[in-house]
Amino acid sequence: MAYEPQFYPGATSVAENRRKHMSGDVEKLREISDDDLTTVLGHRAPGTDYPSTHPPLAEMGEPECSIREIVEPTPGAKAGDRIRYVQFVDSMYNAPATPYFRSYNASINFRGVDPGTLSGRQVVEARERDMEELAKFQIETEMTCPALSSLRGATVHGHSLRLQEDGVMFDMLERTVLENGYIVAVKDQVGRPIDKKVNMGKPMSEEEAAKRTTIYRVDNVPYRSDSEVIEWVHRVFEQRTKYGFQPL
Amino acid sequence: MADDRKKLFQKHLEIKFTKEHGTNKMEGGKITDMRIKYHRLGVDQNPRKLEMKKAGQEIAKKRGLVGYNPMMHCGGIPLGQRALTPSFISGTDMMVEIDDLHYVNNAAMQQMWDDIRRTCIVGMDMAHETLEKRLGIEVTPETINHYLETLNHALPGGAVVQEHMVETHPALVDDCYVKIFTGDDELADEIDDQFLIDINKEFPEDQAEQLKAAIGKTTWQAAHIPTIVTRTTDGGQTSRWIAMQVGMSYISAYGMCAGEAAVADLSFAAKHAAVVNMGDMLPARRARAPNEPGGITFGNMADIVQTSRVDPDDPAHVTLEVVGAGCMLYDQIWLGSYMSGGVGFTQYATAAYTNNILDDNLYYDVDYINDKYDGAANKGTDNKVKPSLEVVKDIATESTLYGLENYEKYPVALEDHFGGSQRATVLSAAAGSATSLATGNANAGLSAWYLCMYLHKEGHGRLGFFGYDLQDQCGATNTFSYQGDEGLPHELRGPNYPNYAMNVGHQGGYAAIAAAAHAGRGDAFALNPLIKICFADDLLPFDFTAPRKEFGRGALREFEPAGERSLIIPAK
Repeated sequence: MAYEPQFYPGATSVAENRRKHMSGDVEKLREISDDDLTTVLGHRAPGTDYPSTHPPLAEMGEPECSIREIVEPTPGAKAGDRIRYVQFVDSMYNAPATPYFRSYNASINFRGVDPGTLSGRQVVEARERDMEELAKFQIETEMTCPALSSLRGATVHGHSLRLQEDGVMFDMLERTVLENGYIVAVKDQVGRPIDKKVNMGKPMSEEEAAKRTTIYRVDNVPYRSDSEVIEWVHRVFEQRTKYGFQPL
Repeated sequence: MADDRKKLFQKHLEIKFTKEHGTNKMEGGKITDMRIKYHRLGVDQNPRKLEMKKAGQEIAKKRGLVGYNPMMHCGGIPLGQRALTPSFISGTDMMVEIDDLHYVNNAAMQQMWDDIRRTCIVGMDMAHETLEKRLGIEVTPETINHYLETLNHALPGGAVVQEHMVETHPALVDDCYVKIFTGDDELADEIDDQFLIDINKEFPEDQAEQLKAAIGKTTWQAAHIPTIVTRTTDGGQTSRWIAMQVGMSYISAYGMCAGEAAVADLSFAAKHAAVVNMGDMLPARRARAPNEPGGITFGNMADIVQTSRVDPDDPAHVTLEVVGAGCMLYDQIWLGSYMSGGVGFTQYATAAYTNNILDDNLYYDVDYINDKYDGAANKGTDNKVKPSLEVVKDIATESTLYGLENYEKYPVALEDHFGGSQRATVLSAAAGSATSLATGNANAGLSAWYLCMYLHKEGHGRLGFFGYDLQDQCGATNTFSYQGDEGLPHELRGPNYPNYAMNVGHQGGYAAIAAAAHAGRGDAFALNPLIKICFADDLLPFDFTAPRKEFGRGALREFEPAGERSLIIPAK
């Protein structure tokens, strides 16, 4: 019988959504063009070549190495791209993703990525074109609501703050605004004004966000109600504790 | 357990978030509202920020070099895009500006650290034995009183045996003194009251008996060098300064020769053989002397704080005062400044001692424990529940779920603790301290700390930050290990314990876990009875019975510190 990863315990919609994020089996909800993505990321001008830090691997004459023979380089590594980042902020008011599940999605489904997980933001560093592939995936799918999630390189606070009156997550630098029912980016990740506005998509309704979210909340899916998850945490805790006390 | 209790944070969060402060336009709304209008008023909404802005402008004009300018923030977008709100010091009704809880802006915080760093405890018994057996000099209560009078002249910087000598000005060192304490009631009766820390008077009867039993009939000096000295030098200076003046005072008080070989014996016995520093020396890679914050064990911190002797029947209160003191010293000063050089740790550390959010969680836990475990969170030893992983799991889980739900039900609580590591520390401090209170076992409390971290991370899908989470992911494995360099009884761990050396935001909570285990049992001390007695002294400028209130007084600019230089600088 073929092994089927279970990814995550739990019987609730939150647990199911966590399994979806981890497996990468998520619904595509919108599209963002390559140029628009490049614009909001702010690492280079749209349409320009990827800056590189070394020549393409094929031209470098790599040393003999069994690991290099086993591991196929990512497209970005092959081309010699520099390492760049994408950083998401997700509101605790039912944004679809949470930092750890963005990291799990990246680690399980993408190669050559270096996720960093914080409470208010989640960063992935990778070769630039590899990073863009991941960023595009997460932005275009149900992992992201444009009103409750946003790209923020710096000055990131917002995940835990009350929402604005229009239901958009607070951003000190107002990188995005709600215009005619759509979230529009007017600044790039680090808050530099951009020449052309970028349509990031339509906000999820409150009901849809509650349905797609991966955060437990007492006013939606209470953590207490998912006893299997708590039991699993207890098991991890107990095993780590006992092993440290008596490792043999 | 039904969650129908009135929240301890409710009143203060309502004032903080639904009343106008300065001109922040925060009037109205409810603390359960999930949406709000952001006025983006910048720094001008806040009186303290305005004062700072004006000062920055005046300084720039005076010195011809720019300085503080809030418009330098984010390329011209100043702080205050959301409302700038004051905070309440937990356990009090003192409302303060959050800037005033930075230790630079708070004289009480500075003095708390000064009072610890400038303190050493020095034993007298070996010196007395040397005097009697080696030199044949009789030691009596009268000679001890005379010696103490001499030392209280010499310790601040007065000469005793020299003919021509520079001295310090008494008005600059008026906070410097020595007192003694002893477990020998007969000797204590003979010591002049001005020199005595009277264990029987300062501690409840049962605690006094514990302390006297612990120290026996030994006698110790609680010595505090001048604040101005410790601020100019370092913690390592404290024992040296004391040793020098102690040596001179023995020579003077007992009429000794300042050169004979026997004095060398006395010097070692009196100055070095029985010295207790508040903090241990750190290894060379961190390069700190004794009596610096990184060497102060959690047990010592629990003993420095004195709430346990003035409010022993409320062990949760004792615990919360240790949280406040520990967060300030370990996070704001040690990790925040000594180790990282940053300024922002204040925002981080104050979460645990402002606005009653942690207090609410811990007192909820006390009720939960007392209901379920038959009063185990009350002071006592016979009422404790036997520590087991099942008990740890039960208390830590209930405490954590309750705390998480508060953040979900009260968006202003979540906004007040806007960083995940603030929330993680508060939740784990509650879970760990509660488990300590119930079991009387600090390592059980520590175990609950780690389970809380795991539960929190899974519940909200986030915890602190890379460096924060790391220790909490691996910490459970060394909770119960006593193998060298892998584990220790919790009271003996400290900021330099291998896994905790860069454990930002945790250490005040760890100190509280140590305190809770012993306050819960009604113990007179957590680790070191000498330290507990040494700080039972109203003459110290900082009131160690109420650290949080003192921080509030500092923030309100009501605290009078020591070590001021007004006497020797031009009048303004």
